[in-house]
Amino acid sequence: MENQYAIEMLHITKRFPGIIANDDITLQLRKGEIHALLGENGAGKSTLMSVLFGLYQAEEGVIKKDGREVKINDPNDANALGIGMVHQHFKLVECFTVLDNIILGVEPTDKFGMLKKAEARQRVVELSNRYNLQVDPDAKIQDITVGMQQRTEILKMLYRENEILIFDEPTAVLTPQEIDELMQIMKNLAAEGKSILFISHKLAEIMAVADRCSVLRKGKYIGTVNTKDVTMEELSAMMVGRNVNFHVEKPEKTPGKVILDIKNMSVKSHSHSGDAVKNVSFQVHEGEIVCIAGIDGNGQTEFVYGLSGLEPLSTGTITLEGKDLTRTSIRQRSLLGMSHIPEDRHKHGLVLDYTLEDNIVLQRYFEPQFANMGFLRRNNIRQYAEKLIEQYDIRSGQGPITIARSMSGGNQQKVIIAREIDKAPSLLIAVQPTRGLDVGAIEYIHKQIVEQRNRGKAVLLVSLEMDEVLDVSDRILVMYEGEIVGELNPKTTTPEEMGLYMAGAKRQ
Amino acid sequence: MEKNKTSFLKKPAVQTLLASLICILLGLLVGFVVLLLINPAGAWNAMKTIMLNFWTFNSTRGQLKNLGNTLVKTAPLLMCSLSVLFAYKVGLFNIGAAGQYVAGVGMSLFFAIGMKAPWWLCVIMATLAGALLGAISGFLKATRNVNEVISCIMLNWISLYLVNMLLAPYMDINMSETWSLKKNFPAAVLPTLGFDKLLNNHQYITLAVPLSVVIAVCIWVLLTKTKMGFELRATGLNKNAARYCGMRDRFNIVLTMAIAGGLAGMGASMYYLTDMIKWPMAVTAVPAMGFNGIAAAFLGGLHPIGAIFSSFFIQHITDGGSFMEKIYPAEIAGLISAVIIYMCAFVLFFKQQMNKDRRSGKKGGKAS
Amino acid sequence: MILLLQYTLLFASVLLLVALGGCFSEHSGVINIGLEGIMVFGALGGALVMRVLSPTTNAFVVILSCVCASMLTGMVYSLLLAVAAINFKADQTLVGTAMNLLGTAAATVIVKAINTATNPDNPSATIAYVDIRKAFLIWPGKEFSWLTLLTVVLLVVSIVLLYKTKFGLRLMACGEHPQAAASVGINVFKMRYAGVLISGLLGGLGGLVYITAGVSEWKFENGVAGFGFLALAVMIFGGWKPQRIALAALLFGFFRALSNVYTGFPFLTRLNLPSTVYNMLPYIISLVVLVIFSKNSAAPKAEGIPYDKGSR
Repeated sequence: MENQYAIEMLHITKRFPGIIANDDITLQLRKGEIHALLGENGAGKSTLMSVLFGLYQAEEGVIKKDGREVKINDPNDANALGIGMVHQHFKLVECFTVLDNIILGVEPTDKFGMLKKAEARQRVVELSNRYNLQVDPDAKIQDITVGMQQRTEILKMLYRENEILIFDEPTAVLTPQEIDELMQIMKNLAAEGKSILFISHKLAEIMAVADRCSVLRKGKYIGTVNTKDVTMEELSAMMVGRNVNFHVEKPEKTPGKVILDIKNMSVKSHSHSGDAVKNVSFQVHEGEIVCIAGIDGNGQTEFVYGLSGLEPLSTGTITLEGKDLTRTSIRQRSLLGMSHIPEDRHKHGLVLDYTLEDNIVLQRYFEPQFANMGFLRRNNIRQYAEKLIEQYDIRSGQGPITIARSMSGGNQQKVIIAREIDKAPSLLIAVQPTRGLDVGAIEYIHKQIVEQRNRGKAVLLVSLEMDEVLDVSDRILVMYEGEIVGELNPKTTTPEEMGLYMAGAKRQ
Repeated sequence: MEKNKTSFLKKPAVQTLLASLICILLGLLVGFVVLLLINPAGAWNAMKTIMLNFWTFNSTRGQLKNLGNTLVKTAPLLMCSLSVLFAYKVGLFNIGAAGQYVAGVGMSLFFAIGMKAPWWLCVIMATLAGALLGAISGFLKATRNVNEVISCIMLNWISLYLVNMLLAPYMDINMSETWSLKKNFPAAVLPTLGFDKLLNNHQYITLAVPLSVVIAVCIWVLLTKTKMGFELRATGLNKNAARYCGMRDRFNIVLTMAIAGGLAGMGASMYYLTDMIKWPMAVTAVPAMGFNGIAAAFLGGLHPIGAIFSSFFIQHITDGGSFMEKIYPAEIAGLISAVIIYMCAFVLFFKQQMNKDRRSGKKGGKAS
Repeated sequence: MILLLQYTLLFASVLLLVALGGCFSEHSGVINIGLEGIMVFGALGGALVMRVLSPTTNAFVVILSCVCASMLTGMVYSLLLAVAAINFKADQTLVGTAMNLLGTAAATVIVKAINTATNPDNPSATIAYVDIRKAFLIWPGKEFSWLTLLTVVLLVVSIVLLYKTKFGLRLMACGEHPQAAASVGINVFKMRYAGVLISGLLGGLGGLVYITAGVSEWKFENGVAGFGFLALAVMIFGGWKPQRIALAALLFGFFRALSNVYTGFPFLTRLNLPSTVYNMLPYIISLVVLVIFSKNSAAPKAEGIPYDKGSR
């Protein structure tokens, strides 16, 4: 009988110091199928794919191609076996053209090593027509849309005549229309006989496009199912290991007076000449969680930068508890009661090479309690840090003197949350506070945010996760291309309705 | 110490010291090999001369005199290395210490000779000139994102040529160098405060030597104990986080470079106002003092107190080099310190080797 | 006038060669501050060959052996940067600075040792090559060097290599986005080695051209008097592109030549500017250019960042 599998990864185990990233995982990809690989952040999906792509070597287990055992030591081996991958962060050289990026590494040359670009160009045009992948071969990567960059990545695989195509979280950066297009492209590719591995944690997309689905949880293999035989709830249970009650306990609360008042706020874009945030106005009241929802890259980051003072506003005003903050510094805003849990905890939230205690006082080191006549009061800092460590259950190797870099992601986030909440702010801005964390940490953080609201603080949550938006918030504002396109009530709206606003298909 | 060797070797301070010693050993080894190649017969003696420097003299007088000479030159070197390490702690590579030093030379001598100013004014002006030059690099980095290494290199040469122009009118034509301060402008010579007595009335020892050590301690206190140091180090380690916490990251960059420049400029005045050295006519190369400061900074483990010792060591072997038999070029000492700086680039690697058995903090796979 | 042209071409050749060297290194992702030291070593290699060759040697043999020697010594010396920066992920600025100090110190020691060995009364660091240098001149008595022609050839070769070949495409990919290059199977380490070694080769040759530019002996304790740094300025002014680097080299070479020969021009002498002004101008110009264009700098994105296989 002819082997029905294009690639088999049998009993793969990959260990890193202190952690087993892949524990006896088996994945079998049939020829011509779309096979989803589902799992939460940190479930081991990326590690498994890195093993398949030759970036890591597994300690145990075998990889078979068409039934024969193969060794994959580096990406070259993977390429030679016809395995191609669209990485989550595109591997494209920004200042090169689309064509140069496609041929890089497999350049057609004459016998003097000179590039034969005309020939390559013709092939790229043929391929893009055949699979309906519209690109401009002569455009530079830095000038084209994310969608077109992704098509370039797909063309890279097709140009190499790869048979096995891996898509690593390909929809995270796309607009809904682009997602639809991508789904169609994947189906076309499978119909042409390509075998596709689709890595995702988005259930709806998996249900829509995949034939089968393998699930990983905490480095372990849970099982493989036919998508048409299961429901989304069943898949979800496989992914998280229990039927999580996503719902956050939240007593009714009537919002009080206005805390934050934003009027006609615009912020310049860094990627194009216009504004990234366009004429946004809204209010946040005490005892209320307002959520800014939207797909990544629709101006949320710039909006938060403008609000927190990291970027200047091009127009508009910000008022916090009646005080005009429009032209004040970041420090002033912080002192006047604004706390900010930043989107990227490594870039903004922490000085990773500082100790835990120094990170705890990062927003307050200048207060008389912690500094006197220009000198730091180390004893007070230590006491304060110990208090917060206990109060917020921050786990670390050496307590206050642990270097932040050596802590786990969840505990790093707890440091930031402790620091920002303990400042007793009147407004808490939380930007994707649960990104990249496990379920336990997510629950903890949601509880803390709701706690702040219950105490009468104003909370502004910026989130990309639909579930988080619907469960935690009291009011939803959908941002699309820098504008607030709709205000929704989480109790009455549906994910479908929200999706239409997020995709720009509907506006109020 | 042998009993708990593992934990002892894991201490960062011990590791830094060990790494520096490895650099020194390798540097000396290369120097020794070169000496052997030139003439094996006297190589060992020559090596001893380099390492012993003033101790090779038989009389106490000779020893004190040459120790004094080394100390006088250590002061500016220490200041330059403080300049480099201070900037480095804030994430900036101050390769411009050389130019800031030159600016300091220019201003001290201009005010001493041209303005007949007292020594303290000369020191202040030299410090300000260095600070200004540093601040320019810092300003360009903060506002226009010009790489400080590149702008510093350009400014090194610009300041060299400017100083040549500035000092051209104050040359003793017979000697082809600036006028002697002691003979003509004694008010500009740094006061001794009695420190010269300690070294048998050494003619060039002034308050500069102890002052430079005091400044090193001040820099250490500033970096580790103060609010400002907390801010500056945070800016150096993660300028985005510093900005997010409301620290004025741009201002801090300018401030850091200004302080760093000021240190190098002041260092120049601590040397040129002793009258031990003069500025020659039409200098064509940036003096190596600033670059040697880089060596001393890294060899000292980027620690202000470490810099005191590393600066002395580098100056010690440099002077030692000049006492070798004439068949051995004195530049071997320069070669040794260059090899030492080169080896300092591997310090990170040495430390990794020492930590090899420790569980690495790297987590499995990136969260995705 | 002809004198000005001669010097402009000579200095421009030096700057062009060394800046092209820097360009290759930086396009591969390694910042090369150590060009000054590489030049010294290239110059030393060439000078030593000139020292041993008899003045009656055929001109072509002289040129060939000197060029090869300087390229080779430059390349060997650049290995110091390659090993530290690529294998050991060292701070490239620090390594470059060390190389500059080491270059001058080592060359001085070597030349002094050789001089003392041949004649114990000559402890100088000078190598003279009065007669043999004439082999480089196209016309006797005029300072037009064959090496200038070679420089033009190397410029064309560099342009073709960078923009028309597989090698160039891969090299630049390593300087822009090494992870992307690695993901399509390019060996980033090898490409970076290639970039640094080419910079050693061109920088070394630049050193030879510099010490034969109108002088018949070289004092090695002076190093190359900041020409390596000036070449860095040329590279930046040229926006990391060979064609523009060539123009920048001409411009900077012109200023440098002016400082040597401006007394020959009555209207310049009447301006009464000290020669230092002409020396200073190139640096000021590059600084101003940096300030104006730095916001959208053409510098390779990954330069100065050690490549680590683990990071993705």
